[in-house]
Amino acid sequence: MRDVALSALDQLGSAATDSEAAFQMDEEAFRTFYERTARPVWAYLARMSGNARLADDLLQETYYRFLRANVAHESDAHRRNYLFRIATNIVRDHRRRPRIDAPCVADGHDGVDRMDPQSADAAGGAVRRLDLARSMARLKPRERDLLWLAYAQGSSHKEIAETLGLKTASVKLLLFRARRRLARLLREGVR
Amino acid sequence: MIGDQCPRESDILEAIAFGRWPDGCRDLAAHAAACEMCADIVEVALALHDDREALCRAAQPPSVGMVWWRATIRARAEAARTATKPISVLQAIAGACIVGAAAGLLTVVWQSMHWMDRLGELAVQLESRRADIATASTFATGHGLPILIAVAAGLVLAPLALYITLADD
Repeated sequence: MRDVALSALDQLGSAATDSEAAFQMDEEAFRTFYERTARPVWAYLARMSGNARLADDLLQETYYRFLRANVAHESDAHRRNYLFRIATNIVRDHRRRPRIDAPCVADGHDGVDRMDPQSADAAGGAVRRLDLARSMARLKPRERDLLWLAYAQGSSHKEIAETLGLKTASVKLLLFRARRRLARLLREGVR
Repeated sequence: MIGDQCPRESDILEAIAFGRWPDGCRDLAAHAAACEMCADIVEVALALHDDREALCRAAQPPSVGMVWWRATIRARAEAARTATKPISVLQAIAGACIVGAAAGLLTVVWQSMHWMDRLGELAVQLESRRADIATASTFATGHGLPILIAVAAGLVLAPLALYITLADD
């Protein structure tokens, strides 16, 4: 029995070591990648979830899944798109979960728009951002994803299609509709 | 047509992305004022671009060391859970075997007790050494319940003892 238990402990030890080896990059490479991508990904998560505190947790989850995913990346852009794809899926999963906590996102009063001191002194900018948050909250989640990736993140239609799991040909039309809708809401100054 | 792009869309997006809008590209701004599609693009792209810039400036994501450390801890915990799964399965199989063996043993004991009763009845019928056999039969019947409880308790405690021993190791 003791032999069995010892071999189990050995197994545990080797599994723990394997867990680090299971990450797709080492700590140094991850550090560089994180420094370059964390802020844009956080901004994406914060705007899509509408909650700054939640964005921290989702960010951690995004990078964890990224590290655990055993995917070969052709380029840095591919790696970055893959990261946004994970982030998108995590936000989607979060939306599907029943809400038991959480300040709601829908009205834009979510903590995301109250924390930028530079925009606070530029009152016009702060108002515009609040309008944007409210308008975005009126859109469908997929429309928000599309618009952010296209116009905030600067992704191409192909990259958006890969990130959101859509056909490239569909992106153009969906983006057109989402853009027209958001532009109308912004002009109307949604309250 | 719906979904068509204005040929100047990419120029407008580039101007906004590089902060040249509107002062650094007067001709594009004039075009956007006249083109309905580009007007929408400017409205949306400018708002989202500014929002992203503000969010990125204000963002305080967790430190890279913290993210890496948490990921490592979590990966270890998951690996440990995966590694202990086979042990749990083995324990469950061992427990099931013990329960099965216990049930079999109980059946045998129960049948042997019936057999002893029958033996006693036979002895009564034969009326030979009646008193001795009747005493034995009464002893078995009278003490049957405590014996059964003792056997059952042993069978229940044995797998528990096995589990605790493995868990301590």
